[in-house]
Amino acid sequence: MPLTPLSRPLTAEDAAHFLRRTAFGATDAQIRALVGRSAQQVAQQALAFDQSLAPGNPFDPMQGATPGAAVQLTRGAWLFELCYGPHPLREKLALTWSNHFVVGTDKVRNVPALAGYLGTLRRHAATPSFEQFTLEVAQLPAMLRYLDNDQNRKGKPNENFSRELLELFTTGIGPYTETDVREGARALTGWTYQGGRGNRQYLQQPAFVNQPTQHDPGRKTYLGQSGTFQGEDVIRLAAAHPATATFVSRKLHRAFLSDTPDPGAVQGSADTWRRTNGNVLAVLSELLASEAFYASRARIIRSPLDFLVGAVRTLGQPNMDARTLLNLTATAGRMGQLMLQPDTVKGWDGGREWINDTTLLLRMQVAAALTLGSKAPDLRAPPSFLALTGQERPPGAVLLASLDGRQRTYLSLISPEFQLA
Amino acid sequence: MTNRRDVLKLSALAVAATTGMPGFLARAATQAGGTNTLVVIQLTGGNDGLNTLIPYTNGAYYAARPNIAIPKKDVLTVTPDLGMHPGLRPLMKLWDAGHLAWMENVGYPNPNRSHFASMAIWHTADPTQAQADGWIGRLAEQIGDPFCASNVGASTPQALRASDFSLPSIDAVDNFQIKLPAGTDTPFQSLLNSPRSGEAAYLTRATRQMLKNTARVQSGIKKYKAGAAYPDTKFAQQLRDTARVIAAGLGQRVLYVSLGGFDTHAGQRAEQDELLTTLAEGLAAFQTDLERQGLAKNVVVMGFSEFGRRVAENGSAGTDHGKGSVMFAFGEGVRGGVHGSSPDLEDLSDGDIKYRQDFRGVYAEALTRWLRLDARAILGGTFNGPRWIA
Repeated sequence: MPLTPLSRPLTAEDAAHFLRRTAFGATDAQIRALVGRSAQQVAQQALAFDQSLAPGNPFDPMQGATPGAAVQLTRGAWLFELCYGPHPLREKLALTWSNHFVVGTDKVRNVPALAGYLGTLRRHAATPSFEQFTLEVAQLPAMLRYLDNDQNRKGKPNENFSRELLELFTTGIGPYTETDVREGARALTGWTYQGGRGNRQYLQQPAFVNQPTQHDPGRKTYLGQSGTFQGEDVIRLAAAHPATATFVSRKLHRAFLSDTPDPGAVQGSADTWRRTNGNVLAVLSELLASEAFYASRARIIRSPLDFLVGAVRTLGQPNMDARTLLNLTATAGRMGQLMLQPDTVKGWDGGREWINDTTLLLRMQVAAALTLGSKAPDLRAPPSFLALTGQERPPGAVLLASLDGRQRTYLSLISPEFQLA
Repeated sequence: MTNRRDVLKLSALAVAATTGMPGFLARAATQAGGTNTLVVIQLTGGNDGLNTLIPYTNGAYYAARPNIAIPKKDVLTVTPDLGMHPGLRPLMKLWDAGHLAWMENVGYPNPNRSHFASMAIWHTADPTQAQADGWIGRLAEQIGDPFCASNVGASTPQALRASDFSLPSIDAVDNFQIKLPAGTDTPFQSLLNSPRSGEAAYLTRATRQMLKNTARVQSGIKKYKAGAAYPDTKFAQQLRDTARVIAAGLGQRVLYVSLGGFDTHAGQRAEQDELLTTLAEGLAAFQTDLERQGLAKNVVVMGFSEFGRRVAENGSAGTDHGKGSVMFAFGEGVRGGVHGSSPDLEDLSDGDIKYRQDFRGVYAEALTRWLRLDARAILGGTFNGPRWIA
């Protein structure tokens, strides 16, 4: 059953909720602009993004003097796009996909490979074809390197990508066997890349190549089907498997509805996914205009980046210099979310995993720096409670209202309400 | 920024911190009186046990690994058949003193080759993966103190999760303190005391607990006097913080530290060599520190990884995910030596070694004979393991 669409026009709190989930947060004016409009129209408009980027990005990864510096500049450039870019939902989705099709800068330190990876996540952010998206990701030098398929050769299989393709990218644990992992690895032999290897070539453009001499052309049995499968076949069978619809829909619900998704609602999205052959755009259009979406207030604990970018956008995108932005990428790392470098290929689990003593302390420090510090942005017109907390009258509002604008904003940023979306 | 902030007086907040807490956290800490500490070391990514404790007389080992086997001449001999990886040299002193134990061939039934499923099994001590709580979380419930175990690092592992709460994570002791701007502490208390439900209530509770934990750490941390120079690695610095927390005498019974990067699918020698060196140098400094502080007799270290790796190397001079592996333990309270028999490299299951000792038996020894706790209640059954506690 498809998800039921929201029928009422958006209230102020509905609009604040939508922008907290799809744009990291927003100013009062941005919230007010959506009040009274239909949920379908608002969702369509947010999803109709193009590929334009924020003007004036101060970071150019190609300027990196070392691979490590280039990685830092890549992070800075992405944070700039998250905070100031014209299409926050596209960036929110790219961030979500970077936590699905995970690569890590511990192994991938080539600038064009990282740029190619990010570009693919943005182009497919609301993809009409999950299968095509998966195929393109599988052939990215960044992914070939990260999960070692560049070394997967006939007679010398390397199972790393084949395993994670099933376990983490498509079906999830359950629908496949160890034999499927091995057979998939055989089918994927020969997929590698040329150029851009090693620390000296970190600015050189690598390119996917399919090496027929390294490919195992024999017969394979994979997910219940047999044939002389090649890499494309394995990607297609895994992406089109019925379990993939549920597994990836659940991740979209984790990103947009709740840290603990409702299985019934996930099934609704999975049905739409299967009916449309993995049309993620169709799934998202339905999801972001649904009653379930608007009923799920305060069910997601903001990730470190959601917290930081949300604060910047809620404060009206104040200017921050390049050094401050780079510091914020490092701070996000100390809070548990170093961009392009999750601890493992599974990505960040999120939810309550974001919260512990140390990360709570860091959230308090960041909030103080943004509101009270000597370099804090101008707060002559501090954000309203609605913009900060999604509620017109949040808990503790009476005492908070008696404080000056900076202190009120500071305490609101460290309140449970701001930290939830 | 500093001139706009001052150190928060915690007395008022400490009162608020005891309300609204899950049952076990509010109970009297009746069993928290022990003085022994267990330090758990997690090697994340699946450490290759065969290249850690090496069967250097076994031809099958060298036949399976033409590129990545540790040459016999480089092995640090510990028995006529087994030797340690050369990167572990800093631990040889402990071996020679009889304080380093290796548990051979440790695993669990129906091994899972997923990093995440397997790690969850080690964290929950439940191979059926039915439980969400961690074994250290259940240990904390038994002790009845929310501060009896901590992770030293950025994110809390599942092992430290209790029914509705996670035990603390301390990323860096020096930063583990609260500073609130003048004039905001009363509104902050009011904010935290407002009634909430769902995830908002969880965040409120976690914040209150954090206020209490930071106060407790800062109250004791000055007792530490550096007893050793630690290497300049994050892992070693976390061990230094571990030593500081132990020296503070805050009543912590379990501390948890992780070292990642063991997923050596390609070019294993370079990667694992460096990791084992980092591991051994950090741990040796930690032990020296404890000895100089007079704390060594009260601390035991136990290390594990979620699985070992295939016996045969793959085509990329690396190894794919396997099954059983080695565990290690050291400390003055440890009975040194090799516990258990080495894997039979000619009788494999699907290319992997067959495990012979259940890891829960190794945990049980630490729980029962080192921490003096009821292992049966924590592990959900009786498990017999090697007698590795002296």
